[in-house]
Amino acid sequence: MSDPLLALDDVYKSYGEEQVLSGVSFEMDAGDVDVVIGPSGSGKSTMLRCVNRLTEIDSGDIYLDGDCVTDADTDVNELRKQVGMVFQDFNLFAHLTALGNVTLGLRKVRGMDKATARERGYEHLEQVGLSDQADSYPAELSGGQKQRVGIARALAMDPKLLLFDEPTSALDPELVGEVVEVMRDLAAEGITMLVVSHEMGFARSAASDIIFLDEGRIVEHGPPEQLFENPQAARTGEFLSRLETTHEGE
Amino acid sequence: MPPLPLQSDWAFVVENLDLLIAGTGVTVALTVASILLGFLLGFPAGAIEVYGRGPLKRAVETAGVVLRGTPLLVIIILLFFGLSVSSSAFVTATIALGLRSAAYQSQIFRGALQSVDEGQLEAARAVGMGRFQAIRSVVVPQALRRSVPGFQNEFTIVLKDTSIAIVIGLGELLTVGQNLYQGGQSTAALEIFLTVSLIYFVLTFVTNRSLDRLDDRFSIPGGERA
Amino acid sequence: MGTPESTTTERTIRTRAAELTDQPLTLLTVAVFWTWLVVRWTNDFLLDGALIERGTSFFPTAPFEAAASALGSLAASLGPVGFPVGWVAGFFEFLAASIPYLPELAIGVWATILLTVLGIALGFVIAVPLSVARVYGGTITRSLALGYTELFRGTPLLAQLFVLYFATPLTTVIRELPTVGTGFIPAQAFWVAVIAFTLNSAAYQSEYIRSALNSVPEGQLTAARAIGLSKVDGIRHVVLPQGLRYAIPGWSNELVYLIKYSSLASFITVRELFERTDAIASETYRYTELFVLAGLFYLALVISASLLMEYVEEQVAIPGLGTTGR
Ligand SMILES: Nc1ncnc2c1ncn2[C@@H]1O[C@H](COP(=O)(O)OP(=O)(O)O)[C@@H](O)[C@H]1O
Ligand SMILES: [Mg+2]
Repeated sequence: MSDPLLALDDVYKSYGEEQVLSGVSFEMDAGDVDVVIGPSGSGKSTMLRCVNRLTEIDSGDIYLDGDCVTDADTDVNELRKQVGMVFQDFNLFAHLTALGNVTLGLRKVRGMDKATARERGYEHLEQVGLSDQADSYPAELSGGQKQRVGIARALAMDPKLLLFDEPTSALDPELVGEVVEVMRDLAAEGITMLVVSHEMGFARSAASDIIFLDEGRIVEHGPPEQLFENPQAARTGEFLSRLETTHEGE
Repeated sequence: MPPLPLQSDWAFVVENLDLLIAGTGVTVALTVASILLGFLLGFPAGAIEVYGRGPLKRAVETAGVVLRGTPLLVIIILLFFGLSVSSSAFVTATIALGLRSAAYQSQIFRGALQSVDEGQLEAARAVGMGRFQAIRSVVVPQALRRSVPGFQNEFTIVLKDTSIAIVIGLGELLTVGQNLYQGGQSTAALEIFLTVSLIYFVLTFVTNRSLDRLDDRFSIPGGERA
Repeated sequence: MGTPESTTTERTIRTRAAELTDQPLTLLTVAVFWTWLVVRWTNDFLLDGALIERGTSFFPTAPFEAAASALGSLAASLGPVGFPVGWVAGFFEFLAASIPYLPELAIGVWATILLTVLGIALGFVIAVPLSVARVYGGTITRSLALGYTELFRGTPLLAQLFVLYFATPLTTVIRELPTVGTGFIPAQAFWVAVIAFTLNSAAYQSEYIRSALNSVPEGQLTAARAIGLSKVDGIRHVVLPQGLRYAIPGWSNELVYLIKYSSLASFITVRELFERTDAIASETYRYTELFVLAGLFYLALVISASLLMEYVEEQVAIPGLGTTGR
């Protein structure tokens, strides 16, 4: 068998006194969609940010496609070309249009000429259903549209892996659907995604595996049917039932 | 090439330290007097820009634009040689710096008054205060606190600009330095002007620190800073 | 130390000045002022006085004098109710008295503008790295940049001019440079003033840019890093384009300051607007007329600068970013 696309091996991370990740290990194969759930402050964002090294780990190893990417001599910018990221609060470049957001990386990182980058940029905006908003600035877009541009921006770099950090939690409820729709399409296309999200509908239908993180440890890891219907750990069950109640009103 | 700085040049500065200290006194006095005059004129001017109307408001606004658009140097010369408002250089410099500072202070206060939430005025009116009373006892106290940072900026600007009074021969710090330099000891230029600059630096530094303290003292607990 | 937070106040000050100056009469006056300046400069500098002899005014004084005296006697004959006519007469007198000095002052305005533009432009070149060092630098670069700005913002510009002019060999060095002081190239004192204004204005501009950079949300740089841009490229392509837009109001303010403070160059013998006005005044003793005139010229320059910056701001405006639409 070939290497897994992403592997975390005994990853530790602390901020000062606070231990945020305590020996996290898991693997995912190309084409997998893994959804990470867990209480606020459990280290989900930190774990994602360690993968593209926006945050540096203390110990352990992370492998992308068989290469260790946590070595000191790894070129982080090279790594980030291969790992796209979608942020909770979008972080669209406020001075650039939707198209400008998508093409900046193509031009400045991939060194593409302007015309080719534009062409590619349009394709990716099309992919998220926003080619008609190419010339709008972020402030002129709705939250859902912003996040779809954020996804197109990450897709444009043609990454091996896409990271999503709570992509819908800053959105008004009625705008969540359009973003989840796009993510479902990407999953169906076989794009490898590591998603922090509490959108249970998406998790049930699109996830290959669910990872339950609590206090910096993976408490449970398995296919959605098993984790949702028949959680092994008591804490998983508690967390899931709390999640149900809080989401009931929606 | 000018001669290298000699030991005696520093000695010369030290010998004349009393003159420099006297000049510093004049600088400080001029700053304080100008800021006060600026406050006395600038605060009502700011209030008129916010709450006033008609020709009075327009006159205040126009005076402000003119004073903010003209170099202090021109204002001082005009007051001293043109209009001859006073034969005293100190009085003239105070009026010039004070007027110009009033034009800037009015904008600080105007901004601060406008930044106080409309609801504050409404709430005050709702408990039965008159408009004037509501402005005076609810809006103004909050606005004054919020103008401390802008005021701090203005204070140091006036402090530095007192040096421009050299043009009418007022014996403030920079003038003293200039006189020492031209009074025959021209080899000490570097020593003299660096010393003078250092004194100004200490003055602005101390002013800023004290006003920081003031800002902390007056800030409303839990309230956002202006 | 310092109060970078005062940018909001400064922004409102400038917007309000623009509100007041954005009126048809002001716009017309500014247009006339600039037309006259450009024609005057073209005649004196480029055409070698072909239209009219250098130093001779375009406008005859006689009609204004005649009007002034006619109105003056009219006012006198009207008695106590004649005072508005008297004012108009005074205005014409002022015009008649000013006309002979206009050519000389136009040349002074040229030097004033040159000083200001060079000071602000060269200052900007230093200010950008200074502010980036303040926001993103390590401990050493950060404190060096801080020391620089505090030093220049904590001492009077006039003292800085004196240090550079009287206390350093700068004048001697510049005087030796080829072409300085010949033809179009101003003499050494001018260049010393440009250096002083550059160093001083860099400190103030960097402070404006620094607080503007700080107002760019952190997520912007994170997102730039996440698509693989290096830190330097992220700052260059993402943070600076936004930060510099936020900095425009403060920057316009600095431009206005520099126009006014360029008058201080007269203390080191630079022949700009103030110096020329002062020279004529001390010969003719017409202090009031001349300095009112000079004041009006400065005011016209300041208003022109505000209008120009307003235009620039509109041109580079992006929906939802910086001063507009917030
Ligand atoms: N840059 C940081 N500096 C210090 N502490 C941090 C930082 N980032 C995250 N933390 C801490 O690490 C813990 C986990 O945070 P995070 O990964 O954001 O959790 P989650 O995304 O699961 O809510 C939190 O307690 C948070 O306070
Ligand atoms: Mg998080």
